[in-house]
Amino acid sequence: MDLYEWLLVFHVTGAFLMLGGGTVAATLNLAAARRDRKPSEVVLLFGLIRIAVVALTIGAILAFVFGLWLVHQAPFNYSYTEGWVIAAIILLIVSSVMGAVGGRRDERTARFAQELAATNDEPSAELLGRVRDPAALVLSYGSGVLLIAVLALMIWKPGA
Amino acid sequence: MLAALRPDSFDLPLFLHVFGATVLFGATGTIAIAGYASRRSPDNSALLARVVAGTWLVGILPSFILMWAAAEWILDKEFPDNADTPGWVSVGFIVSEPGALLLIALGILAWFSVRKGRVLLAVPILASIYLLALAVAWFAMSGTP
Repeated sequence: MDLYEWLLVFHVTGAFLMLGGGTVAATLNLAAARRDRKPSEVVLLFGLIRIAVVALTIGAILAFVFGLWLVHQAPFNYSYTEGWVIAAIILLIVSSVMGAVGGRRDERTARFAQELAATNDEPSAELLGRVRDPAALVLSYGSGVLLIAVLALMIWKPGA
Repeated sequence: MLAALRPDSFDLPLFLHVFGATVLFGATGTIAIAGYASRRSPDNSALLARVVAGTWLVGILPSFILMWAAAEWILDKEFPDNADTPGWVSVGFIVSEPGALLLIALGILAWFSVRKGRVLLAVPILASIYLLALAVAWFAMSGTP
């Protein structure tokens, strides 16, 4: 295997960690959003989402760094000024920011759930409202949709 | 290399194959995480068993079918009429075909876990093995050694 193929392996590993981590976070978030969830259960499920966030963060760094290196190293005369490269970089940054902001809202929800669990561990309408907060959902799931768009750009490479 | 040299008609099946594989990786990761968490949090075992079974049904099953069907679609285009396939394609077959049996076993164990109200230890172990197999497959397919 030459350098280009090794870079591709690390870049693809980053993509798997990002999209796989997003899948883990979305699945556990959906599980937490059921009407009958007790606060302690929300604490547990949101706590497990932190593992996905680690995978997402490592994946984003790998995909970004090795992706930029690949543009330089690939034997196909790619350029950093090509539309699909610029679009992918912008979408990855916007996705990361949206995910981080949505994640901060979820952290506050997890803290609220922890307080409720310590006093009265029964399903709470206010907690459910926070778990299903439309702004947090748009930020988190929107971040995932942008990652899928980046994957599409990597496959189709429009203009390349 | 293939990604840059392939015909445009390969793009859609390749996108669906990679998308299916990444979701499959995430769904399997969810089962592994929930399975190991249930060992540390016995009070929530029944909840985590339901998460495992639900993830198998709405995550593993459709994403495996998508990954596998899109792979067959690409193979039909790239190696028509049972042409000789390179080693990295064989790695994909090894992961997808015996892997399917492992995933079926995982589904059966997930269903038993719900019935017992706790995640069976074999569930996160099998999920971890499949995660490693997927990593070997994406190494072989992206590096094409």
